[in-house]
Amino acid sequence: MVETLNSLMHGFAVAFQPEVMMYAFFGCIIGTLVGMMPGLGPLAGISLLLPATFGLNPIIAIVLLAGVYYGAMYGGSTTSILMRIPGEAASVMTCVDGYAMTQQGRAGPALAIAAIGSFVAGTLGVLGLMLLAPTLASFALRFGPPEYTALLLVGLFVLAYMSGGSMLKTLAMAVFGLLLGMIGIDVMSGYTRFSFGITELGDGVGIVPVAVGLFGISEILMTAGQSDPPKVQRPTLRQLVPTASDLRQSAAPIMRGSLLGFMIGIIPGSAHVISSFVSYGLERRLSKHPERFGNGAIEGVAGPESANNAAATGAFVPMLALGIPTGPVTAVMLAAIMVHGILPGPMLIEQQPELFWGFVASMYVGNVVLLILNLPMVGVFVSLLRIPYAYLYPCILAFCILGCYSVSNSTMDVWIMLVMGVVGYALRKFGFDLAPVALGLVLGPMLELSLRQALAMSGGDYGIFLDRPIALTMLGFAVLLLLFAVKPLIFKGKDWRSKVGLDEPADS
Amino acid sequence: MTESQRPQGGLRSDQVSGLILSALALYVGWLNREFPVGTLAEPGPGYVPMLLAIGLGLIGLLIAVLGSRSSALSGMVWPEAIRALVIMTACVLATLALERIGYRITVAALLVFFFGVVERKSWWMTATVAVAFSLASHYVVGVLLKVPLPRGPWGF
Amino acid sequence: MNKRYLIAVLLLACGVVQAQETFPNRALTMVVPFPPGGVADVTGRPTAAALEKVLKQPVTVANRPGAGGAVGNAAVANAKPDGYTVLMALSSITVIPEADKLFNRKPAYTLDQLAPIALVSADPVILVVHPSLPVKTLKDVVALAKKQPGELSYSSSGVYGALHMPMEMFLHAAQLKMRHVPTTGGGPAITQLLGGHVTMTAGGPAAITSHVKAGKLRPIVTWGAERHPNYREVPTFKEQGMDIVYYIWAGMFAPAGTPEPVMKVLRDAVRQAVNDADFRAQMAKVNSPVNHLDAPEFAKYVDADSRRLAKVVQVIGRVQ
Repeated sequence: MVETLNSLMHGFAVAFQPEVMMYAFFGCIIGTLVGMMPGLGPLAGISLLLPATFGLNPIIAIVLLAGVYYGAMYGGSTTSILMRIPGEAASVMTCVDGYAMTQQGRAGPALAIAAIGSFVAGTLGVLGLMLLAPTLASFALRFGPPEYTALLLVGLFVLAYMSGGSMLKTLAMAVFGLLLGMIGIDVMSGYTRFSFGITELGDGVGIVPVAVGLFGISEILMTAGQSDPPKVQRPTLRQLVPTASDLRQSAAPIMRGSLLGFMIGIIPGSAHVISSFVSYGLERRLSKHPERFGNGAIEGVAGPESANNAAATGAFVPMLALGIPTGPVTAVMLAAIMVHGILPGPMLIEQQPELFWGFVASMYVGNVVLLILNLPMVGVFVSLLRIPYAYLYPCILAFCILGCYSVSNSTMDVWIMLVMGVVGYALRKFGFDLAPVALGLVLGPMLELSLRQALAMSGGDYGIFLDRPIALTMLGFAVLLLLFAVKPLIFKGKDWRSKVGLDEPADS
Repeated sequence: MTESQRPQGGLRSDQVSGLILSALALYVGWLNREFPVGTLAEPGPGYVPMLLAIGLGLIGLLIAVLGSRSSALSGMVWPEAIRALVIMTACVLATLALERIGYRITVAALLVFFFGVVERKSWWMTATVAVAFSLASHYVVGVLLKVPLPRGPWGF
Repeated sequence: MNKRYLIAVLLLACGVVQAQETFPNRALTMVVPFPPGGVADVTGRPTAAALEKVLKQPVTVANRPGAGGAVGNAAVANAKPDGYTVLMALSSITVIPEADKLFNRKPAYTLDQLAPIALVSADPVILVVHPSLPVKTLKDVVALAKKQPGELSYSSSGVYGALHMPMEMFLHAAQLKMRHVPTTGGGPAITQLLGGHVTMTAGGPAAITSHVKAGKLRPIVTWGAERHPNYREVPTFKEQGMDIVYYIWAGMFAPAGTPEPVMKVLRDAVRQAVNDADFRAQMAKVNSPVNHLDAPEFAKYVDADSRRLAKVVQVIGRVQ
């Protein structure tokens, strides 16, 4: 412990060097900017900056890139809350209640809670990274395909608690999302499925254009044609600040989201996106008033936002402790270290203590910088809502086209976004919830792949899921979730759904 | 709900959406015929899509069957449909133009269309906002963030 | 109206005159068909930087990832053959059309749509096993696999991917059967092995070095024609009596039909670029050996590689 503190002090000495501070600050600003753009997520941000880091020293390079990464996680929530456009995949859930709060004139508290939640999650995440990295990393390695399958099943069953509409419609949308996830080359067999001869669809449809289309474009289509446009908001200063009861309601979700996100974040694979979905489902399940979710519940912003930021920090655990990437973002960061002749691997912390501790310390600094940067910005962002809608929506459209084009420099993603906008519009008219589509799309390819990988490992023996303790525990948990979800169907009237009359088909 | 309370008109909205989902499932199942399904122990590329298509088909049917109490299709209002159509058409044209005439011209033209034609704003506001947005967004994303945005044959 | 017409004609004329001037007179685009941070990207960016110095024009790197490289490769194959769009491809460029043939798909591109400029780097892969596996040499691996047919498993970067091909070459040559666990890339393939979820994989030297040094992976044999400079103690397949060679390479291509003088400028530029000191230093840092071959030899190299890999794809056949 004393040793850790000493090393950390040493790290702060590195992090407080003016040059390092400056780059951390830059990174956070660029990250916030990039995160706000739909399409340009953290991956795009750090890839764009990667060549610029070749000329810097390795500590500065990694501090800059990490700043962009968690800065983008902060920034991702802004457009979700204000305009219902998920800046990146992890903020899809924030759209739901965050935008509902904006419509009620409570954009300020939503943005502030998102920033505070991100700050707490980021700071707790760094603590975890610092104290437990080697231990947790070896735990993370035990996540093979069977464990991954079980984890994703837990993610899928959370669905039951995710939406307020009819269970059948939620299921239909989840299956629709899973089917969308089937598009593209099947990793296990090399078959190209449902691509209609379009090469660009070989990698499947990305979550970003789908989410921007389903949520952002459909919202514009619904709103722009109404005879009286949405009112211009002029919030007073007091309305910008979260109330004491907002803070009280958010405290527990932020802590739970942080823990959950961090644990999911350390697992190699791209599962960290599901952390925000799982957190949302969890908060709704635990809430005494689940019917508030979807209608501007602040817990629905606090939990997922904390979870995705904690997951971003968690992703650094295997990267630094073992030199293995948990996803594309950490892969680019590993490349950035390698370019400087440092071999990332199990010995990195021992051989490059200055890099590791300087990095950890800079993350404390970066999180504070982001909080200071973001809280006063809430007022600026909210004043975007002062722009009359007639000027706002065409700019949002152009913004969405720009963002989706930048995902992989191709118009294919723009087309996907437009098609999904129409689909989302039609589905909303018919009273379907859209969040399950996004969850299905995220889970689909991963779940199928890990299931088939697990079977390939065992030679087709399903016993592999029961032989491995972690997988078995999680499967048990998934079954429990399922039972809880099924219970109200069997014992009618015990569920909140019927209490608030939501089991009735919506009269839209 | 009794018979007399029901609004006029035959089809219900849930019946329509349920049947559309079932039709989609049938279509997916039909497309899926070219992929080997494999076995339970060794699922092939067609295995999971087949399960999903069956699932979606059944859920769609259930929604349709149980949807007799939902609101009538003829009762649904589409006040924003025409504006939505205009917006989508403009976006489709802009996407087609994007790689042909470049980012800046496309976005400026798109915004001029919306401000000037759809929203009937004054011409100077239209021009100023459209050009400013197009140039500013290009500067931030194309120049500062170095995303290679498409250029037209005239070099911008 | 007339005036406008005149201006348009003048503008067009300017364009024509410009094109006839010496190549290059504007920025080039280097398409990298993989996401940033991958082998193609960490080779492409220093190459682009070195080319900038030689050509005195900016060379922008554009990542066009998708479908195992097919999207970016196809984009260049169908680009205007004026030399302003070039491709930094990996060895998978020869496998994708073969796989397309196997599935009766309309190919995204064919190899004769692309004109080779130069080979930039080539690196053999190395067979690594989990340290818990009681094997030290290739003979041990073969003996163990024969004793437990279909029980050992290996991970790869995906079906027909850069790490699947060498494993299939080996298994076919040694008449072995193993379980194949494809993943979504080279990184995940090694992660699966580190976690002990599979028993072996073929790994690029740069990706495995730190794990080998830490004793988390054990190198057995390399697919190189000779021993790898960083792995002097690891024998080649050839030394062990198996005639299989496999390299992951990165090379530059232009669209077929690019005029000969333009090709010559590009070839000369790459030749100078690979000897640039900064470029060499950059490549050494990412453990990527520079291996330059000019167009004629490179074309032969690509041809030989594509024929060899085509055979492997056919041996694997369609995976059900």
